[in-house]
Amino acid sequence: MPDYSPIDFAVPFFVALVLIEMIWAWRRRPQAYEPRDTLTSLAFGLGSSAAGLLTGAAVLALSLWLYQFRLFDFGAEWWMVWWAWPLCFVLDDLGYYWFHRCAHRVRWFWASHVNHHSSQHYNLSTALRQSWTGFFALSFIFRIPLTLLGFHPAMILFVGAFNLIYQFWIHTEAIGRMPRWFEAVMNTPSHHRVHHATNPIYLDRNYAGTFIVWDRLFGTFQQEGTERIRYGIVRQLGTFNLFWAVFHEWIGIAQDVWRAPWRHKLSYIWRPPGWTHDGSRDTSDMIRARWLERHGETATDGAEKPVPNDNPIAGREKPA
Amino acid sequence: MAFLGQFLASLAAILVLAWIARRMGLGRDIRIRDEQHAQMLADEVICGFEAREIALDRSGRAALLRDHAGRVILVKVHGAQFAGRLLGPGSSATIWEDFGQRSLEADSGERLFGRALLDVDNPENWVSAINGAKVSSHA
Repeated sequence: MPDYSPIDFAVPFFVALVLIEMIWAWRRRPQAYEPRDTLTSLAFGLGSSAAGLLTGAAVLALSLWLYQFRLFDFGAEWWMVWWAWPLCFVLDDLGYYWFHRCAHRVRWFWASHVNHHSSQHYNLSTALRQSWTGFFALSFIFRIPLTLLGFHPAMILFVGAFNLIYQFWIHTEAIGRMPRWFEAVMNTPSHHRVHHATNPIYLDRNYAGTFIVWDRLFGTFQQEGTERIRYGIVRQLGTFNLFWAVFHEWIGIAQDVWRAPWRHKLSYIWRPPGWTHDGSRDTSDMIRARWLERHGETATDGAEKPVPNDNPIAGREKPA
Repeated sequence: MAFLGQFLASLAAILVLAWIARRMGLGRDIRIRDEQHAQMLADEVICGFEAREIALDRSGRAALLRDHAGRVILVKVHGAQFAGRLLGPGSSATIWEDFGQRSLEADSGERLFGRALLDVDNPENWVSAINGAKVSSHA
């Protein structure tokens, strides 16, 4: 059983690829990067690694304790069961899909995951913009079912690391579309650009980690259209302050819970981001519905149909 | 100890990358082009927002938009992108005069989002619209 984290070995490649993408941006698309945004994103990555080191032992200890209650047993030499590895990877990716979907639909989980989305740029440094508060948000609970099924926690962590590494390269505008067969099965830059978009029709779509088939299966898939995408969050941060970027949604939850009438307090934790008891803010469903009302349902039903054409942020091109 | 070394190496790497991005001149100097552009940016702040009145800063760095309901949105340049806010009870507006030049300062009321200085016609109208919204919200 390997006793190292694949991510440690991947970091130098991450740095090299960010550098290569910067050179691409310098030659072709300078607006793809903003130095202050890049610094914030990379600092997110560093802080996330430190947070993971502090909390990882607790998660592993809990997982090992839960492992004794497993349904199936791969034996004492579980790492020798070759087919368990790909099976674990696929099931972990399925678990990731549901984690990710909840991370967008439940404000408690969103408070942590929003960190990854709060950049208005979409480049490889955005991939490293990882949460510091994942442990506090209890994100690890989504991997418990795999442990209870019988996959050893070390195996789950190992395949999970490869899943994370896979997701690095899809955070780029430098790659258009991959071959059709690949786009059909795998998560790609095209699919993931949709996921990071704030264009109303793209909100809360394409939750996949490695395999896009989960979105196709569970009805959350959206093809990238022809219009330029704008990135970030519905209420853009408007600052590069690292600590505000890390904690702003947690602070928002605390303020809302404090101010809300007693019977609504919990709703500000478990309902979707943007939900309010007085309707004073919008959820992504509300924004999407309003947009569809203005532009019609047909705008969503085809691969090449345009997405919102009111999209001037990312470039100087005139809207269609 | 190994972690500390790794942490410091990573910190150095990210500082170098950010420095390279700066040295390469990445990013861009952007401006709000015209009123139509400002309207589209406001629509991104509130989907469906239709401005009745628009004040575009002459340098294109910020804009104020007001709809039929009296809601006011401030849109401004943020790095290589734009960001906006619906102004509310915490927001305020002031007119500054400097060497005969009058400028409108719109404060979002959020310390980190900050304020914007706009060179626009009839700034008084916007002062009353923004500060008036505050009064009516408190009423």
